[in-house]
Amino acid sequence: MEFADVAAVKVVSTSAVFLMMTIVLLAVSRRISTSILVFGLQSAIITAQVAGTAYLERSAEAWVVAGLIFVVKVLGIPYAFFWLVAKLKSRRDVQAATTPAQSVFIVVVMIFVSYAAVRSYAFGIRVPEDALAASVALILTGAFLMVSRGKALMQMLGLLVLENGIFLAALTTTFGMPLIIEMGILFDVLIGLLLMGIFAFRIRDTFEHLDVSRLRRLRG
Amino acid sequence: MTVLIGVVQALFLVLAAPLLKGIVGRLKARFQKRQGASIWRPYSDLLKLFRKDDLVPPTASWVFRAAPRIVFAVIVSAVAFIPVIQSSALVGHKGDFILFVYLLAIGRFFLMLGAMDGGSAFGGMGASRDALVSTLAEGPLLLAFVAVSIVAHSPTISGIVQWTLGQNFFDISAVHILAFTTLGIVALAEAGRMPVDNPATHLELTMIHEGMVLEFSGPSLALIEWANAIRLNVLLALLIALFAPWGMAAEITWGGLGLALGAYLVKLLVLAVFVAVIESSVAKLRMYLVPDFLGVATALSILAVIFTMIAKR
Repeated sequence: MEFADVAAVKVVSTSAVFLMMTIVLLAVSRRISTSILVFGLQSAIITAQVAGTAYLERSAEAWVVAGLIFVVKVLGIPYAFFWLVAKLKSRRDVQAATTPAQSVFIVVVMIFVSYAAVRSYAFGIRVPEDALAASVALILTGAFLMVSRGKALMQMLGLLVLENGIFLAALTTTFGMPLIIEMGILFDVLIGLLLMGIFAFRIRDTFEHLDVSRLRRLRG
Repeated sequence: MTVLIGVVQALFLVLAAPLLKGIVGRLKARFQKRQGASIWRPYSDLLKLFRKDDLVPPTASWVFRAAPRIVFAVIVSAVAFIPVIQSSALVGHKGDFILFVYLLAIGRFFLMLGAMDGGSAFGGMGASRDALVSTLAEGPLLLAFVAVSIVAHSPTISGIVQWTLGQNFFDISAVHILAFTTLGIVALAEAGRMPVDNPATHLELTMIHEGMVLEFSGPSLALIEWANAIRLNVLLALLIALFAPWGMAAEITWGGLGLALGAYLVKLLVLAVFVAVIESSVAKLRMYLVPDFLGVATALSILAVIFTMIAKR
């Protein structure tokens, strides 16, 4: 086998581990800016995985998807988030309900749960167990971030992590969805970010903070 | 010949340690846009200290005199377990990683005793903080070793290195990535580097290592400082040996050894740059956040051990 082939195979097979590292990093990060950077890193790993798959399957569509993901998720969304953080001028911490060590233990348990969940299934349909487990773990972590972080921006980030997980699950089980659907999903994510951005401004203007755990009372 | 090279590489780790400290200091200075001291400065510091008188506080007992010598002796014997340019170390096949971990722990223990024996308030404060940090760092250090040795089917550091040398670079498994991250965090904590302890100053109330050495002077201080430099060098050499040993001489020829030394120095320089970048960009953690920082390392190491069951390699 050529060196590039070996490298592509190994990128596809080891990226799951790096994705699990980003999950742990998301659990420990205390600041919004760190979380955004980790999300960008996570998307870059997924891009590498898509590119590896594209190289192995000799598929032009997958290269386009990899390019789109790189532009939107590695560059576009983190940039938009940083812009939002700068504009909102709120405090920088994520207002976590759990301490970093607790969060790490929770996501570690989630990783085990996802391994247990996909074990029989992955064997049945002959897909790499690591990658499928990583995608389930990403979905669970996204949901965990959404419920445990108080800052309104982290809800959006949790949703994006969750979306990364769904994308990865599609990639590993079917070698990617058709191009038109991928473009639709990416467009969806962008519109979601736009709406959440507007929403964050409204929350800030009405309540003068961004802590969703304090949104108890209605205000006129 | 193997034994001779073992002696040479152990001496290299001991004698080059102050140079590594100097290089890290110089790199740090450059990142902060300062000129920085010469990289040979730690040697002249040590020479100066060795020529000075050893002042002992009137309240101190023999423990205070003995502690620096024991700390130095213990760390030098730990050096004999680390392969550098060949895959076997001086006593590599006699002792396993548990012995290595507890040699490091004995050194810390006697440094704490010496600091408390010195009788100053800062010594006691530094010792109690160091006890906290080393207790929390010991678990992840052992677990990371356990994970790697399960994968390599060998309890000795030399055995693990020999197994890793036989693997393809791309075959590094999840276990290795997790264990590497754990050991990286633990190495920063064990060597008293930035997010846990600030090595650059002894003027802070939050100091750990510098608080412990305040009462020492002359040759005692020199031995402690040298031992501390060796500790950083040993931990970085350990990271290189366990996780990136490629380039080490498989059979003993001059060319192979030269290549191994070159590869080792390049890897060491990369790690030194990494340490310097961390030290110039990260703020020191509050003391009560250190357990969280090391808790992350513990979680990663537990994950590494459990991954040895999941990973098929």
